[in-house]
Amino acid sequence: MTYIPSADDLEVITREVWTSFLDGDPAGLVAGGDPPTGEQITGCVHLSGAYTGSIMLQCSPPAARDAAAALFSIAPGDVTQVEVVDAIGEIANMVGGNVKSMLPGPSLLSLPMVVQGVLSVPGAQVVRTVQLIWRAEPLTVSLWQQAS
Amino acid sequence: MRILIVDDSKAMRMIVARTLREAGYDEHEFVEASNGRQALEVVADEPPDVVLCDWNMPEMSGLELLTCLRGAGWSIPFGFVTSEASPHMRAAAIDAGAMFLIAKPFTAQDFQDALDPMLA
Repeated sequence: MTYIPSADDLEVITREVWTSFLDGDPAGLVAGGDPPTGEQITGCVHLSGAYTGSIMLQCSPPAARDAAAALFSIAPGDVTQVEVVDAIGEIANMVGGNVKSMLPGPSLLSLPMVVQGVLSVPGAQVVRTVQLIWRAEPLTVSLWQQAS
Repeated sequence: MRILIVDDSKAMRMIVARTLREAGYDEHEFVEASNGRQALEVVADEPPDVVLCDWNMPEMSGLELLTCLRGAGWSIPFGFVTSEASPHMRAAAIDAGAMFLIAKPFTAQDFQDALDPMLA
């Protein structure tokens, strides 16, 4: 039977990325909370092959700005939209690449896509999701699978 | 030593350079390219001593860059720094002529483990 990474796996991978590059404090990322509402930034990578689906990172604009500030080592007030797109895309790529390594292969990983708002993939459904809070802002990581 | 960092993410190029400095390579020269095609131009202009390259990039991927370099006779030490580190990817990297594959997220120790033997 095909192993699909669990919600705990998604959380472990996200925490590893966060503590390595964004927030050295392991307690900075807290499990729980509600999904982001209102304005959102979504980073996404698609997988195609033995597993076809997507990995998405959704967060509030303040969380996206702070994430970019942390990656670029600059003040949040100095972050540009280009840097937000770069940072959220790279975080989605890192989480997605690590999730891909746990899925059946071979599959191809797409370049990351970053959009303002919510992204929905036609014909795909969420199979795993993890809800986190960082600096009092919501963050959702989800794994999608395309219906066969 | 001149180290070429190839990644389509500017943030990641900065993080790689920062981590290399943490790993003790702060006296080396870092040059950057945002995709394989740009990296080829850098190599042709002034060849680096080592290439640290992302796998998945627009214009020209890291694997395409490595294949192109080896096909043109360049034997510059080449390592991947990528979010994908499955056994399949590692085997593909080594088969293409890469010396190592460092998985993102990485640590300064990962770079020391990969680069120190080459510098010794």
